[in-house]
Amino acid sequence: MLRSILAILAGRLVTLLCRWLKRGGTSLPGFVALKVDPLLLRRLSARCQQVVIVTGTNGKTTTTNLLAGILRASGLRVVTNSEGANMPAGVATALLEQRGEVAVLEVDEGTLALVTRQVRADVVVITNLLRDQLDRYHELEQLAAVINRALASHPVATLILNADDSLVTSLGEGWDSVRYFGLARTPWSQTTTREVLEGHICPHCHQPLQFNFYHYSHLGDYFCPRCSYRRPRADYEGRELQLEPTGARFALVYRDGAVDLETPMPGLYNVYNILAAASAALYLGIAPETIIQVVTSFLPGQGRAETFNLGDRQITLMLVKNPTGLGVALRTLASGQKKMAYLLAINDLAADGRDVSWLWDADLSPLLTAPRSRIICAGLRAGDMAICLKYQGVAEAGLEVIPDPRASIAALLAQPVNEALILCTYTNLALYRRLLLERGAQSEVTPGASLPGVS
Amino acid sequence: MKLRLGHLYPEFLNLYGDRGNVLILCRRAEWRGIDVEVTTISLGDPLDPRAFDLLFLGGGPDQEQGVASSDLFAKGPALKEAVEGGTALLAICGGYQLLGEYYRTANGETLPGVGLFAAYTEAGKKRLKGNIAIQVAELGTEHPVIGFENHGGRTFLQGAQPLGRVIYGDGNNGSDGTEGARYKNAIGTYLHGPLLSKNPHLADYLLGLALQRRYGEVELPPLEDSLELATNAAVYRRFLSTKGKW
Repeated sequence: MLRSILAILAGRLVTLLCRWLKRGGTSLPGFVALKVDPLLLRRLSARCQQVVIVTGTNGKTTTTNLLAGILRASGLRVVTNSEGANMPAGVATALLEQRGEVAVLEVDEGTLALVTRQVRADVVVITNLLRDQLDRYHELEQLAAVINRALASHPVATLILNADDSLVTSLGEGWDSVRYFGLARTPWSQTTTREVLEGHICPHCHQPLQFNFYHYSHLGDYFCPRCSYRRPRADYEGRELQLEPTGARFALVYRDGAVDLETPMPGLYNVYNILAAASAALYLGIAPETIIQVVTSFLPGQGRAETFNLGDRQITLMLVKNPTGLGVALRTLASGQKKMAYLLAINDLAADGRDVSWLWDADLSPLLTAPRSRIICAGLRAGDMAICLKYQGVAEAGLEVIPDPRASIAALLAQPVNEALILCTYTNLALYRRLLLERGAQSEVTPGASLPGVS
Repeated sequence: MKLRLGHLYPEFLNLYGDRGNVLILCRRAEWRGIDVEVTTISLGDPLDPRAFDLLFLGGGPDQEQGVASSDLFAKGPALKEAVEGGTALLAICGGYQLLGEYYRTANGETLPGVGLFAAYTEAGKKRLKGNIAIQVAELGTEHPVIGFENHGGRTFLQGAQPLGRVIYGDGNNGSDGTEGARYKNAIGTYLHGPLLSKNPHLADYLLGLALQRRYGEVELPPLEDSLELATNAAVYRRFLSTKGKW
């Protein structure tokens, strides 16, 4: 007990120091506090009546923020790690600094066990399992096994799983309380997938799965031709999807009714984020009107397709970290008719993933066909990105390799176009955001907002 | 002139961007006016030992590799016949391991391999992963071969010639300084993913070996490779200074 009081005091002291020094503090206070009391998460999370954990490969941060927003709008006080600091130290920092009845915690899929060992979760939402940072997690099946063990080590009450992802649904096997969310066939569904396939082996009999259709990557309507394994019926199903460049609308149908949802966030991946958050909210008994209201106005966080205005230019900044995310981002943001300039800033530091081979697994075709001025390749792996584009058919005259971030922004702004897209790996995101703000760019999402991580 | 490329199990053995190598080989042939025909060879498909100039085999996750391995084992004799007849082959990571004598798993089980390379693999405790540079004697000393490795298995050569010597990184087993294996025109290596992207010299060497079978020595006109070689040099400089350890 004394130990946790000391830990909380130490964490608070670090928070104050971070504020005083105007330094990012989304993880450091929790890191220090966990050093003093390694069991602190147990005590801190027990202060909340309900705990929801959001994990998976893509969409964690947006799903977490959206769900937290819905719960807040329904009148609850919510504790959440809203800025993507999803390792145990980030989770501890959020629990140290905020108080509330409900915690909505984004947790890194690879370190889930460190959290579930101490935190009794009432609901665990799993967005998807896609190949990401393979140097850390090796293979997807191994990652699924790690998550399975993490869930089993400290049983959670209810799993809310993506029905369209066979790897995710396999985690629901043998669980008493499972709800599935999914997306019905859309006009964009395809009978082949552009991305490299993964998670396409039947979890039961290890035969290749067959698909009635794909939404993207291996997400879709799958079945095993040999055994009975197939996509489960979705308890919360998105239907009649209409995708537009400026957003999407669809009906979310569930056992007791249906809600019509409209979002200003473009892209199929955001439809999944909304499905995940809205399903969890409905399961928790939140009124449909509250969900409709929050979804209608919710914009993603900093660096998640964040748009900036700079003079007469519009610049979109987007985090990319794995092949599916990069392919989907390009399909969403590079599919317009207006001529755009592109900057891809690829780093290979620990937080980005050391291995950049994944660039070759991404579907870059939207970028190849979009009207564009030059494509600027930046970051520590600028050369690797440029080579990948060269072999996919971009003439070298259309490429510039400028590893230095500041110089690459200057080159981007020198392009004779009004729209630009910057795609960054993790460690470039805050940096490029800062460089844009330094040049006087205004964020449309958070006008005059501080840097990610600065409280 | 035409290059016939056989891509084995692309839907199963394709972790880490391995398919990039097929694209690179195709482009570098096409840029020189050589026609390319890529054929997918998958589960149950016959393998005609005389049909291809170049065979490609990527790496895969354990489950996918398991599905492919029994089929590959059945194709083993045809594959060996092809290599004996001069067909070039590039096998990466998991594909490389499957072509050895056997793989001994962590619980002592011995899985038979195709037996093309006189080498065996056993499971190791720690994964060997990181950037790697090797010296390949046939490619001269001007440019190393640069890549990324990420493998649990340790491969030990038993008479097979290595592909190269490790400059930094781990290679076959992290202890004897060898990387990959070579038999006739077949190459196996742990340098995974788009290995050929930063190694145009290795890509052309393979193309030359592949075309040799039907056309004899072929002079490949040089291509504009400054982007590839500058990236090769930049990665080399950056990681050599850390002696391969971050």
